[in-house]
Amino acid sequence: MTRSASWQLSTNGHKLRQALPLIGIYLGVAALVIVFIAPIVWILGISFKTRLQTFTSPPLFIWQPTFDNYAAVLRTETFIPGLWHSLLTSGGAVLLSLAVGTPAAYAMARVTFRSRDLIYYSLLAMRMLPPIAVLIPMFMLFDALGMRNTTMSVVLAYTTFSLPLVVWVMRSFFEDLPAEVEESARIDGAGRWATLWLIVLPLARPGLVAIAILCLLLAWNDFLFAGVLTNNSTQTLPVLLASYSTADSGIDWGRLSASGMLVVAPVLLVSMAVQRHLISGLSAGAMKG
Amino acid sequence: MAPAEATIMSIEPVAPSQSVNVIARLSSWAEARFHVLAVLPTALIMLLIFGGPLLFSLYLSFQGWTKSRSLYGGGFVGFENYQMLFTEPAFLASMVLTIIYTVGAVAVEMVLGMAIASLLNKDVPLMRIVRSLLIMPMMMTPIVAALCWKLLLDPQYGLVNYLLGHQIVWLGDTNLAPIAVAIVNIWQNTPYVAVLLLAGLRSLPGDPREAAQIDGATRWQIFWYVTLPALRPAILVALLLRTIFEFRSFDNVYVMTGGGPAGSTELLSVYTYSLTFGQFDFTLGAAASWIMLITSICLCAVPILLFRVLEGRR
Repeated sequence: MTRSASWQLSTNGHKLRQALPLIGIYLGVAALVIVFIAPIVWILGISFKTRLQTFTSPPLFIWQPTFDNYAAVLRTETFIPGLWHSLLTSGGAVLLSLAVGTPAAYAMARVTFRSRDLIYYSLLAMRMLPPIAVLIPMFMLFDALGMRNTTMSVVLAYTTFSLPLVVWVMRSFFEDLPAEVEESARIDGAGRWATLWLIVLPLARPGLVAIAILCLLLAWNDFLFAGVLTNNSTQTLPVLLASYSTADSGIDWGRLSASGMLVVAPVLLVSMAVQRHLISGLSAGAMKG
Repeated sequence: MAPAEATIMSIEPVAPSQSVNVIARLSSWAEARFHVLAVLPTALIMLLIFGGPLLFSLYLSFQGWTKSRSLYGGGFVGFENYQMLFTEPAFLASMVLTIIYTVGAVAVEMVLGMAIASLLNKDVPLMRIVRSLLIMPMMMTPIVAALCWKLLLDPQYGLVNYLLGHQIVWLGDTNLAPIAVAIVNIWQNTPYVAVLLLAGLRSLPGDPREAAQIDGATRWQIFWYVTLPALRPAILVALLLRTIFEFRSFDNVYVMTGGGPAGSTELLSVYTYSLTFGQFDFTLGAAASWIMLITSICLCAVPILLFRVLEGRR
């Protein structure tokens, strides 16, 4: 009797000692979720509230959701064109920087040539400079070229941010690919270009996906350059949203949250879907250097 | 088999047809200059659209600015623009503010990021979901994140004040506004630091830590003497990237305070922006942006040198 009781006590103590760290971990996780995820969920909630429901005190935690804010945002004359310009600039920037940057990254990974390191490190340095330093003269350059307020000017500006990133990440990705496959292709008579196109690029698809998403994020999320290089007829969504917040008529919380969620949703969905690639790309590029 | 193919291929270029000959010569030319052709477009775009303008702004920063606002009317003025900025109290205040803001925000991000990375490194059920949820803040458009936090920090109806039970005017107070502005960036980028450090933690070999554990080291000792030194490359990368990006913060301030109240959140990028696109003083703006550029390089040199010293001591 006493033996079994003490046995039970000791296993309970043992179990408790095993469970304690686990409880600590889950408390930490709960705190993480509250701090980092709850704000997004809260704003998502506001986007489904009517004006009256937004300004109740204490705030409403349960209510009948309304889609009026989303309908109102999509009906405005500015949102859909803004979306179109955002898609155009980000898509253009991603395509241009991948098309231009991938061969450069491959050449730097596989060919040793004079001034290779110089070019590589100057590219990295350009990525690190504060963008406002180049924004002023870039604005003047596009103005002088008659490209002011064009979508093309924004695409070119974004390409200059993402090219160093493409070269940086893809170079280390190419270096990690086994060189034997390429060598045997070259022995069989394939040239550098054919090897790159037919052999290396298919192998590099995960890296290309990751870097394309990173470039897309960079372009989609930018405000500073789009704000300066576009006008009302070519503005992207972040520029449009910033103008909501500085409007004199006061902020409409519901519409603001709804449009914010519409801007963020595609990015969040895409990055959640490919996040394994994304994180490996992020750290592959970051760990080497 | 393979040698036969190779001979066929090498015969092809000397085929009699003229057009084939041209293509073959072109392609062999493209082969011989593979690296030049591959790198040239990148180099050209970066030079023409980034490098050139950057140097032009250096030139501009030594130019004067006339009342008539014609760009080249001012003429060469030497260091006058720089002198003007360094004797301008608002600029110096903005410089000091930016450095304090950068150091503070990066310090919080690094410490929190390290703690979160260690937590995420535990392989318990559901952790994978938490890891993938946590990348949401860093993917968010900064403008949207700032707008969200503007609503959350609203004095009357904001969730934060409701939870705190006080009506704090976050963005209207000269002491609180810089903190409120920093919160947005800390919230967005701590997960980024955590992801980088987590990748570092994951790539560490387990043996040294196990050995230390067998030797009777406490967990804190293992973290401090074994894990942290091994993580140094990852920490340096995160530190540098965050310093660079925190120093150029613009979106959060622009949306939340516009530099106010009373200049208490006027970071260098906001100051330069309003000089250039508010007062249309392009040459003074160019000088301010070059001061920013040089300061940012100096700020990055600090952690690199610090890590060199640490490395040397070992």
